[in-house]
Amino acid sequence: MKNHVKNIVVTSIIGMFFLVMFLMCVLHKPIDISTSERRQLAQFPTLTWAEIVDGKNIDEFEDYTLDQFPLRDTFRSIKAWVQFNIFHQKDNNDIYVVDGTVSKLEYPLDESMVDYAMNHWKAIYDKHLANTDAKVYYSVVPDKNYFIAEENGYPAMDYEAMIAQLNSGIDYMTYINIMDCLEIGDYYTTDSHWSQDKILDVADRLASAMGVRDKLSFEFTQKQLSPFYGVYHGQSALALKPDTITYLTNHVIEEATVFNFETQKNTPVYHLEKFSGNDPYDVFLSGAAAYLVIENPNAVEERELIVFRDSFGSSLTPLLIEGYSKITLLDTRYIMSQMLGSVVDFSTVDDVLFIYSTAIINNSTALR
Amino acid sequence: MLFSSISFLYYFLPIVLILYFAVPFKFKNFVLLIASLFFYFYGEPIYTLLMLATTVSSYIHGLLIDRFRDTKWSKVFLVSSVVTSLLVLGFFKYTDFFITNINVITRAEIPLLKIALPIGISFYTFQTLSYTIDVYRGEAQVQKSFVRLATYVALFPQLIAGPIVRYTTVEAELKERTHSFSNFAVGFNRFILGLGKKVLLANTLGELCEIFRASNEKSFVFYWVYALAFCLHVYFDFSGYSDMAIGLGRVFGFHFLENFNYPFISKSVAEFWRRWHMSLGTWFRDYVYIPLGGNRVSKLKWFRNTLVVWFLTGFWHGADWTFIVWGLYFALFLLLEKFFLGKLLAKIPRVLSHIYVLFVIAISFVIFNANGMGQAISDIGGMLGLQQIPFFNSETLYYLRSYGVVLVLGIVGATPLVKRAVEKFRTIKAGDWILTVGEPVVQIALIVVITAYLVDGSFNPFLYFRF
Repeated sequence: MKNHVKNIVVTSIIGMFFLVMFLMCVLHKPIDISTSERRQLAQFPTLTWAEIVDGKNIDEFEDYTLDQFPLRDTFRSIKAWVQFNIFHQKDNNDIYVVDGTVSKLEYPLDESMVDYAMNHWKAIYDKHLANTDAKVYYSVVPDKNYFIAEENGYPAMDYEAMIAQLNSGIDYMTYINIMDCLEIGDYYTTDSHWSQDKILDVADRLASAMGVRDKLSFEFTQKQLSPFYGVYHGQSALALKPDTITYLTNHVIEEATVFNFETQKNTPVYHLEKFSGNDPYDVFLSGAAAYLVIENPNAVEERELIVFRDSFGSSLTPLLIEGYSKITLLDTRYIMSQMLGSVVDFSTVDDVLFIYSTAIINNSTALR
Repeated sequence: MLFSSISFLYYFLPIVLILYFAVPFKFKNFVLLIASLFFYFYGEPIYTLLMLATTVSSYIHGLLIDRFRDTKWSKVFLVSSVVTSLLVLGFFKYTDFFITNINVITRAEIPLLKIALPIGISFYTFQTLSYTIDVYRGEAQVQKSFVRLATYVALFPQLIAGPIVRYTTVEAELKERTHSFSNFAVGFNRFILGLGKKVLLANTLGELCEIFRASNEKSFVFYWVYALAFCLHVYFDFSGYSDMAIGLGRVFGFHFLENFNYPFISKSVAEFWRRWHMSLGTWFRDYVYIPLGGNRVSKLKWFRNTLVVWFLTGFWHGADWTFIVWGLYFALFLLLEKFFLGKLLAKIPRVLSHIYVLFVIAISFVIFNANGMGQAISDIGGMLGLQQIPFFNSETLYYLRSYGVVLVLGIVGATPLVKRAVEKFRTIKAGDWILTVGEPVVQIALIVVITAYLVDGSFNPFLYFRF
């Protein structure tokens, strides 16, 4: 009798659970974008007989059921919690947390990727810079793993080997070491990037090496934007305290203009409207862009800088504006390097800085 | 369609359950058949026709075998049925294997056909073979209802990854079966348990195996961690699928036979194979080994019979030399055990017998999972310390720490310890009460966590789909 009652109860509960979940799935209103993962979500496929038979529609429907699952972020949080607290796994989808700081495993060092990056830069140098008077520098921004991975038992790439490989393969640029200027506290806890207010010593090191240190006042007003949920916040699916974006400004920065050649629009150095967008870090120079030109009407002399960069350059470059009348920012992930000669005048440039993060160098096929 | 997918759990299954339990009994097989065909079509749109054609062939052959019973034509139709089924299986599964080997031996350049392997073809072919053979032997009555036979062949709980359900096992239940709260509750309990084994353990261990395979920093210990992880991965993957199949079958009123019985606690390789993929082992025993004479023949013929069965067992798992070597590897140990090792194993301490079995099994699954014999030899070399690699390194330490709990859970879960503890706990009055009340709570919690893993994860293939 007891078992019979139990079976009725179990049947009722299980049956109800699956029925409710079914109704929730069917009645769930599709969402376009996942703000936590910063990506577009799959939509219900347009069914055609040909695409059903070749399996394409079925794959699309599978993606749809995963992406549009009701309470998806809650379920992702449950998974992350179980993975860390029940199974005691050290990472969840390569994301790990050390003392409240989130990072993503970047491991191991891929020498072929480093070679690819070097070849890419050499091609740019040979084609556009070899026959100019420009002084060319390069620098490497360590990702967060450099500071926290190895000492906390996480696999870490051999950063010294990467730098050694770069230094031995690049003899046409001057290396500016900024690694010793940084520590883990200089980075956001929920994002991969550094915090602009913590990298004044980096700007100082670079400016000194490029000979413009005396042009920089390093007098800024701090302004803050919060809450800032960085890229790892959504990826980790954990309940983490948000960061605050602190940006540094002064009249030179505020009076500088930024022209985006893709959109053909002028934007401010700090594009505050972007803070409410998918990636709040886009407040710095409006985020990812292939080709930007910053004009500084307050420059004390005509001096031009070209920065080949990734997203770390977006928050760094404003700190260098005082030293130059014109700064061109190029991101060859979004523009073919072979095309640069037709849109950028390299003949008048004084300084060129290649600055990339270790994460990009170790996955350099994105450079085109 | 995967059992461990959102589309199955929260779209397909609820709809099928509602339809199945809403219609009168006489339509239930029809609902199951349509659902099963859709289930197969979802994963293999074109090959659904192949499965139907195989079913039609078996149906007609069964009728003909029965119609001409006690005449020579009965045997002719049996042979025709077996040849037809094996030709279809051979064509879709083994053609490129034979072409490749012919090309290697003769240096010919015959182009490969590159035919996609129909999912579950090895399973449903063996099921249809068991039907016609059993009808011929008089062990099963011919099925005159095409819907019932097609329901048996296509029945989605066991269609694509087994267990290999014999026709005789479900013959009576295809005609008449009971549906009860007990079947539903017990069936779902088993289904959710199997789903948990698959999603939480097998998939996680599979990730570790992939990490090992991609690693450039292997160590001696990492090789052994990989071997352990893969043994547990394949066990929880396949036994999890069997649990799900058995559980779902029970929900619909079918009683499938068990397919696994804690194989890793075996004290000999022979015992291991009595506990591992039992439906395949008994299939080869009843339809190949015994018809060849079994062990009631001369030693030489018995030796031949053993080699034939294990060659075929390996070849059934895949059209690659690694699988053939894997099968013959077991034949070697089974013969050794029969000749002298078995007596030795009976005398030595049990712990040594277990170590022997686990060592043999670990090596076997490393061969099983290798991408070619070159990799198999390389992996075994790594396990035996024959590679120029460190004994231990930081990467090994990291993954041991990261997957340590899952490995321990896997080891414990592969033994009957938990089952015995629960049974013992149930003998206490308070324990029985706690288990009775706690069971549905645990089930819901488990399905929520499984759903969370499915929603978040992408690593979800079933290993036995390729067979």
